[in-house]
Amino acid sequence: MDVALVALIILWWALITYAVLGGADFGAGVWDLFAVGRLADRQRNLINHALGPVWEANHVWLIFLIVGLFNVFPAAFATLSIALFLPFTLALLGIVLRGAAFIYRYYAINSKGRFARLWGRVFSVSSLLTPFFLGASAAAVASGKLLPPNGIADATYIVSLISPFALTIGAMAVTLCATIAAVYLTIEARDTEHDKELAESYRLKALIAGAVTAILGALGLGLSSVESPILWHGMLIRAWPVVIITMIIGLATATTLYARYYSTARVLIIAETAFMLGAWGLAQYPYIVPINYTISNSANAPNVITAVLISLACGMIIVIPSLYYLFSVFKLPYPAPGLQRSANEQIEPQQKGAAS
Amino acid sequence: MSNLLAARAQMGTSLAFHIIFSALGVGIPLLLCIVEGLALRTKNPVWMMLTRRWARAAAILFAIGAVSGTILSFELGLLWPTYTKFAGAVIGLPFMLEGFAFFTEAIFLGLYLYGWDRLSPRAHWLCSFPIWISGLASAWFIVSANSWMNTPAGFVIKHGKIVDINPLQAIFNPSTPYETVHMILACYVATGFAVAAVYAFAFLRGKRSEYYRKGLMVGILMAVIATPLQMVSGDFNARYLADYQPVKFAAMEGVVHTEQGVPLKIGGLADPNTGQIHYAIEIPNGLSLLAYLNPDATVKGLDQVPREDWPNVLLVHSSFDGMVGSGLFGLLVAVLFWGLYWFKKRTFPENRLLLWGIVLAGPLAFLAVELGWMVTELGRQPWVIYGYLRTKDAVTTAPWLNISFSIFSLVYILLAAALIWLLRQVARRPLPQVKAVGEGYQVIEPNIVDAEEVGV
Ligand code: HDD
Ligand code: HEM
Ligand code: HEM
Repeated sequence: MDVALVALIILWWALITYAVLGGADFGAGVWDLFAVGRLADRQRNLINHALGPVWEANHVWLIFLIVGLFNVFPAAFATLSIALFLPFTLALLGIVLRGAAFIYRYYAINSKGRFARLWGRVFSVSSLLTPFFLGASAAAVASGKLLPPNGIADATYIVSLISPFALTIGAMAVTLCATIAAVYLTIEARDTEHDKELAESYRLKALIAGAVTAILGALGLGLSSVESPILWHGMLIRAWPVVIITMIIGLATATTLYARYYSTARVLIIAETAFMLGAWGLAQYPYIVPINYTISNSANAPNVITAVLISLACGMIIVIPSLYYLFSVFKLPYPAPGLQRSANEQIEPQQKGAAS
Repeated sequence: MSNLLAARAQMGTSLAFHIIFSALGVGIPLLLCIVEGLALRTKNPVWMMLTRRWARAAAILFAIGAVSGTILSFELGLLWPTYTKFAGAVIGLPFMLEGFAFFTEAIFLGLYLYGWDRLSPRAHWLCSFPIWISGLASAWFIVSANSWMNTPAGFVIKHGKIVDINPLQAIFNPSTPYETVHMILACYVATGFAVAAVYAFAFLRGKRSEYYRKGLMVGILMAVIATPLQMVSGDFNARYLADYQPVKFAAMEGVVHTEQGVPLKIGGLADPNTGQIHYAIEIPNGLSLLAYLNPDATVKGLDQVPREDWPNVLLVHSSFDGMVGSGLFGLLVAVLFWGLYWFKKRTFPENRLLLWGIVLAGPLAFLAVELGWMVTELGRQPWVIYGYLRTKDAVTTAPWLNISFSIFSLVYILLAAALIWLLRQVARRPLPQVKAVGEGYQVIEPNIVDAEEVGV
């Protein structure tokens, strides 16, 4: 088990964590776009409230991924940066505008004013763009046709980016994020807002988005047999059990959601995303950027990767407990150290009663 | 605009924008920690009003810091892939460690900014410690990566390949101790003067309550401690550069020919092609004395490298003078303030001229930070990794860079405009009513009736 493979597996887990946490942020932005009609304001407040505390912590996983990639596979990272110049720049613009828009809307004093509505529009549109471009880029890499025949990365060579396979996977990424966000928001609506009607509306949205994701996923799978032979063969030889499990979990998510077991649905949707990305990784093994860059020929020196892994472990020792503390203070229902003493606990529900 | 110029312009603008929020991102958490600590200990509600107000402004500034920082991480790859391939192999570690520092900072920031009602007063205050410590760490790691670019170490090139990479040696390259200390002090100088300037301006417009006086005092206290230390650190930096980065030193001081007993030239403008400095105040043997404490010491001039390898002497020399000048002005204002304060037996000096000086010192301190980085980055040209990789070889082969530069400049202008509008709104909000309750405070934020349009 050489060091580079260990590092790649860890990076893949960071990708999954980003998809599950960061993806939910983008999905919430997408639902912000579709927040119309009677429930619109309550839906927007829910999104604002749910995103507030964890926004920045989720977004740092993406930076972790980039830095990890250029640490462990510098040559592959350089090629990806040139070949995917266009989609990455557009995805970056989406992230930037989305992050700024969220903050301005959240802190705008007059939430009905022009300023808040304008940035609200920027927030939801950019939440749509970024997952699409990241999904399309992933598909272009997996298709094996990212680099021109001479193998030298060229930013203008975008044939693999506008292929039907890439467009389908891009769209699937958006609907997957929307499904994850909708499942989280049903729980948020039920547990923190105690708003049954809002939870129902998000349950419905999660079911619809989940169905669309399944259809796009199947379409993508079909297209990959034609357009990305490497992925397809990788799937047939190694990854087919994982693909089947992904489909089973998909069905299980839909049924638990339909039956209103929201907490189990949340666990299942996370597992669904993990297995889906796992299937892609397994199918593409051992390529980083198919056919030219494999793990062995683009990995950094082993002693450097070991140093990175050690620093990773030390970092995790600090980050994981702090992240757990963050979630326990805001999201998890049981008491955590440092919370307001019980004397204030009585005031809180009372205030909540007065406020709503 | 050539591809290379557009890439350099975009990188420069991105970093010039990000550094403002980086400096505040390192400085403000320490101020918050101090002020909240005072609020808990002295039970004076004014300290808690300051904490609440600064926390609200800090939340906005951190978000923009995080967003602009993300742009930079993408841009290192998007604009300079060859640099990232070279640097990623050797100096990737501090970027990874910096990632952890940001992560811890972002987590405890979430707890601090949104945990007012959920956390007990003591726990809430303790959350501010990991923020300023990890802010410091992130600055240290990222500037050690930049120091490596100025004095590369920890690897060997054998027939075109990078081998024997030693990451620790790369982080602790010769420039790291100098640059990191100077940068961290710069963050405290800039934050201190920025806070002092805001309250000095409010004071001049007639707002004289204890809230405004305490805000100004805390800001100018940080400034009066950090600025003299910054001068000392700057002096060490300059003397260190004379030996380890002679070309940058020569460009900074406008020394063209290697000779003995070189004069110190203050101010003046360098003629770009000859490198000669005109209309400067000349102190004979001044530079040799300053750099080597020996008036006849030889100082290496720009003639030590071929003409096309000279950095842009005009910009580097003027940036250096601008940085030192702004720093000295700030020091003067801070020392005057505290001098008057002690001389008049601890009464708050209300001299209008001095207050206007403090207002000016705020933006000037940030100008010093920007100019300081211009010295470091432009002084390193035409190399991106000194002696190994030239800037023109590091740029991406992707076209459309001038379009990318214009789009990102627009984004930055948009972000800055919306930010100023929002911060003014936060400043205009009436102060929260704060009452000491038990161990902590009961804070009632005034909610603005939507109809009452505030500001614009
Ligand atoms: C002297 C300090 C300093 C300098 C020179 C830089 N940064 Fe920075 N950066 C910070 C100090 C900082 C900070 C204070 O730690 C920030 C600002 C606000 C924050 O949340 O962290 C930050 C945020 C920040 C973030 C977002 C982290 C988050 O989401 O919280 C990233 C990815 C970067 N930076 C990356 C960079 C890169 C790639 C740089 C250089 C090319 C760079 N920074 C220069
Ligand atoms: C945060 C404060 C910083 C500022 C204000 C700053 C400013 C600049 C400027 C003005 C340029 C363009 C100079 C030129 O190309 O003529 C530049 C280039 C560059 N900087 Fe920095 N810099 C900073 C820190 C850093 C750090 C911490 C790194 C990396 C660790 C870095 C990496 C680069 C690279 C790769 C380039 C492009 C190559 C080059 O032009 O030399 N900079 N920076
Ligand atoms: C007498 C006063 C000062 C002197 C002699 C001085 C000297 C220097 C030198 C020689 C450098 C280049 C270091 C390198 O490239 O390795 C530098 C960089 C820098 N200076 Fe100053 N400086 C002074 C005051 C200040 C002040 C007051 C500030 C900010 C408030 C400041 C901010 C910076 C920054 C941000 C950099 C670039 C980052 C770095 O290289 O560490 N300096 N300074």
